[in-house]
Amino acid sequence: MKKLIVIALSASLLLGLTGCAQTDVVAKTAVTSFVSILDKNSDKIYEEEDGYAFTSPSELEAFHIGEDIAISFELAPFVEAGLDIALLPDYIEASDTTITIGMKNNEYESSENANEAFAELVANNRDAIGYHAALDHYGVALGNGNMFEWAKDTSTNDKDIVFVLNPQPFIDAGVDVNQVEGWVFAKVETMEDGKKVEVDKLLKPYDLN
Amino acid sequence: MHATMKIIGMTCAACSARIERVVAKVEGVESVSVNLATEILNCDFDENRISVDIVKQAVEKAGYQWAELVKKGAVDEDKIRKEKEIRTLWRKFTVSTIFVIPLLYIAMGTMISWINAPVPTVIEPMAYPLNFALIQILLVIPILIAGHRFYYVGFRAIWLRSPNMDSLIAIGTTAAIIYSGYATVQIALGQLAYVESLYFESAGVIITLILLGKSLEAVSKGRTSEAIKKLMGLAPKTAIVIKNDREYEIPIEEVVPDDIILVKPGGKIPVDGVVVEGTTAIDEAMLTGESIPVEKQAGDKVYAASLNKNGVIRFRATKVGSDTALAQIIKLVEDAQGSKAPIAQIADVVSGYFVPVVFVIAVLAFAAWMLSGQSLVFSLKIFIAILVIACPCALGLATPTAIMVGTGKGAENGILIKSGGALELTHKIQTIVFDKTGTITEGKPEVTDIVAYDGYERTKLLQMAASAEKGSEHPLADAIVKGAEREKIELLTGKEFEAIPGQGIKVRIENDLILIGNKKLMDEQKIESGYALNDANRLAGEGKTPMYIVVNHKLAGMIAVADVVKSNSARAIKKLTDMGIEVVMITGDNSRTADAIAAQVGIRRVLSEVLPQDKSNEVKKLQSEGKKVAMVGDGINDAPALAQADIGIAIGSGTDVAMESADIVLMHSDLMDVPTAILLSKHTIRNIRQNLFWAFAYNVTGIPVAAGILYLFGGPLLTPMFAAAAMSLSSVSVLSNALRLKRFKAQH
Repeated sequence: MKKLIVIALSASLLLGLTGCAQTDVVAKTAVTSFVSILDKNSDKIYEEEDGYAFTSPSELEAFHIGEDIAISFELAPFVEAGLDIALLPDYIEASDTTITIGMKNNEYESSENANEAFAELVANNRDAIGYHAALDHYGVALGNGNMFEWAKDTSTNDKDIVFVLNPQPFIDAGVDVNQVEGWVFAKVETMEDGKKVEVDKLLKPYDLN
Repeated sequence: MHATMKIIGMTCAACSARIERVVAKVEGVESVSVNLATEILNCDFDENRISVDIVKQAVEKAGYQWAELVKKGAVDEDKIRKEKEIRTLWRKFTVSTIFVIPLLYIAMGTMISWINAPVPTVIEPMAYPLNFALIQILLVIPILIAGHRFYYVGFRAIWLRSPNMDSLIAIGTTAAIIYSGYATVQIALGQLAYVESLYFESAGVIITLILLGKSLEAVSKGRTSEAIKKLMGLAPKTAIVIKNDREYEIPIEEVVPDDIILVKPGGKIPVDGVVVEGTTAIDEAMLTGESIPVEKQAGDKVYAASLNKNGVIRFRATKVGSDTALAQIIKLVEDAQGSKAPIAQIADVVSGYFVPVVFVIAVLAFAAWMLSGQSLVFSLKIFIAILVIACPCALGLATPTAIMVGTGKGAENGILIKSGGALELTHKIQTIVFDKTGTITEGKPEVTDIVAYDGYERTKLLQMAASAEKGSEHPLADAIVKGAEREKIELLTGKEFEAIPGQGIKVRIENDLILIGNKKLMDEQKIESGYALNDANRLAGEGKTPMYIVVNHKLAGMIAVADVVKSNSARAIKKLTDMGIEVVMITGDNSRTADAIAAQVGIRRVLSEVLPQDKSNEVKKLQSEGKKVAMVGDGINDAPALAQADIGIAIGSGTDVAMESADIVLMHSDLMDVPTAILLSKHTIRNIRQNLFWAFAYNVTGIPVAAGILYLFGGPLLTPMFAAAAMSLSSVSVLSNALRLKRFKAQH
C-alpha cells in the first residue's frame, strides 16, 4: 500500500510538473530579459509589415519578430568568401543585399509593440526557446541549426546578442567560412533533440553596452 | 564477572571504538572488547561495584542497542536475522538502483555530449531547467528514503560527538542535496546558470553504491561465519521423549535432564546422555573426528548431534541446551570469533581518531580551494569526495573478518582455536613441547612382541598370558587380554589368582601353574631366566615393557607390551621440523623408554623423568631461552604446562581440564593438526596484514586524491561518485581477501 501511494504520488507530481506553466522559468525569464534589451535599445526597433525588427548596433543584421521569426544579415561578406547564391537551400532567402533565415509564426496576431510581439513568439513557439548555460544566453531556435541568442544579463556579458548560423549550407554553397568578414567560425556546445552536442557555427556577437 | 551481549546499530570501526570508550569509562568495568564483524560485546566487570544493567545502559548511552545472546534456537534466529538484514539491504539497493538509473541518465546524459542520451524536451536542462531539477528531486527522494538509516545513524553519532562512517556519508550527501536544493531555488528565481550546479545524482549514486557495498558486506559477513552455522546445523531440532511408555516428539529446547529419549537407526542424538537400553553403533565423527562408528551399550555415554547408525537405543539425558558437548564446541568457536587479536588494536586506535580527523581535512581542503579562487561548487565537490572516500569501514573489517574465517576454517578441520589472540600468536611458535603418552603415543599399551622358548607356540603363550591376566586390574594386563581378544583367542579359566605387588601374578590354569612378571619375580621365584636377558634388554631398549611367562617353574616365553606411537606422529614432527620449529618431547618415563619413542618419531631433544608437577617448569625454562613455546598434551597432569606455554594445544580425546587450559583443541587427536594450526595462523596473520595494508593504503592515497592533490598538478579530480564507488570497493575487497582463507587446506 505504502509503495502504491509513493508511486501514485510520484506519478501525479511528474504529470503536474510537465503540465505546469509555473515551472517554465525559461519562458518567463527569456521574455523579461529580451524585453529588457529591447527597452534599453528602443532606437534599434523597427516596425515591419508583419511585425518588428530588432537590429544590431551596426544595423547590418536584424532579428525579426512577427509573422516571420528570422534573422537577416548582409550578403556581401558571404559572396566575398565564395558564396554561390544558387547553391543555397530553399529555406535560405537571398536578396541583392541580404540573406534571411527563419521560420513562419502562423499563430502570430498583430501586436502593439515589439515587447508584446516577442511575448507572443515565446508563447506560441515555446519549444524554440532555450537556455545556453555556458554563455548564460537565451536563444530562439530558427530551425536548421540557426539561432538568435541574447544574454540573460547584458551588464555582465560581453556577447549581449549573437546571430548564430549553421555553416554547412554556406560551405556547400562555396563559402570559406573562415573568410566571412565580421563572422566567427567556431565550435559551440548546444542542445539538439534533447542531447548536448558540440557543433560548428558561424557567429556574429555584439556587445550592446 | 563476565558479560556478553549482541550490539545492534554498528556500521564501522568508529562505532565499535565508541562503544568500547563509553563502556570502559564506567567505574567497575575491568575490560571491554567489541567485535564489529560478530557484533558482540565482551566485558569483564567487578560485580561488587556494578551490574550488567549498568553496562547495558552505557551501550545505550553510546547510541546503540543491545540484545541478549540467546543460545536456544540460536541457529535459526541468527540465520533469520542475518537473512532478513541481507534481504532488506538488497531491497533498498534495488529501490535505489531503480531510481538512480533514470536520475543518472537525466542528470548526466544531457550534460555529457559523448553519452548521446536524449531526454524529453519537457525536462531538457536548457529548455526547462526547473523541470530538470524537479524531476531529479522526485527521483532522489526514494533513494534518500532507502538510505535514511545513514542519516539517522550518522547525524545521531555527530550529536553524540562520536562521528562514524555514516556521519561521513550523511554529511557528504546532505551537502550535495542542500546545495542542489539551493540551486533549484535559484533556477526557480530565474538564475538559470544554476542548472549546471545540481548534484542530486551524486547523492543518489553515493547512497546506492554504499547500499550495494553494505549488501555485499552483509553477504560476505554471513559467509565468514559459515563454520558456526555448520556446527549449529548438526543438532537435530526435535527429540522423541518416552513418558508413561508413550513416545512424544518435542522441540529439543524442551528436553530436560533425566528425560528418557528414544533414538532410532539413522536418527541423531538430540542431547548428551547415558544409554539405558539397547545397543548400537554411533558415528561421533563430529566430536572426535573418528570415522569408525563406536559401539554403544547400556552405561555408555552418547553425545548430541552424533549419528545413530543401526540400533534402537533409549538413553537418559544428562546434559541439555548449552551444556552439551556440541554447545561447548560452538561456544569455543563463537568466543574465538568474537575475540580480538592484538593486531586489531592498530585498526581500533586509528579508527577512533579517523573520522574527526577526516572532517577536519575535508573542511581545510574546502577552505583552501575556496581561498585559492575556485568556485563554491568545485570546493564543495572536494569536501564531499573526501568525506565519502574516507570511510574507515575497510579498516574496521580488516582484522575481525580474517579472524572469523580463520577460526571458522580451523573449526571445519577439527581445530578449535579459542581466541583471536591464540590464532595470532600461534604463527610465532619456535618450540613445541609434546607430551609423550596419549599425545605422541596412543596412550593405550598394546602387545608388541611375543618371544617363545622351549618349543612353546606364540598363540599358546598369548592364550596362557591373557587367561592369567584376566583377573588383574593392571593396565598392562588389560593390554594382554585385548591382544588375545583381537586375535580371537579363546581364554581359559584361571584359579587361585594371586597378585604379587611390584613383581607380577601367580595363577593356576587347568593343571598348570603360571607366573607372569618382571625379572624380580624370576629372581624371587628362582626361575632360570639368564638366557632370556638379551631379549629382555633389547625390548626394554625399544621402549617396551617385557614380561616373563613361566609355566610350571620353567620359563616358557616373554611377552612385551608398549604404548604404540600414533600413525601420524612421525610425519607431523617431520613437518614441524621442516617448518623450522624445534620439537621437544616431555615425559615421566625413564630416559631409555623416552629415547626409544623419540627415536621412532624423529625427536632429538627429550626431557625425560619429568614429574607431572615439573612439566610447567620445563616449559618455563624453554621460555627463558627467549623462545615462544607451545605445549601439546592431553592429560590432567599436562594442564599446568598447557597454561604456562605461550600456546597450549590439547588433544580432543583428552581430559576436560586439559581442554579448558589450552588455547587450541585438536578434535581429531591427529598430530598433523598441529602443523595445520600453525600454518592456518600464518595464513590468517598474513591475510590480516594484507587487509590492513590495503585499508591503510587506500585511505592514505584516497584522501589526498579526493582533496585534489593530483588536480593541483594537472591530474584528474576525483568526483564524489567515484569516491563512493572506490569506498564500497575497498570494503568488498577486504572481505573478499579474507574469504580467500576459505581455500586453506589442512595438512593430512
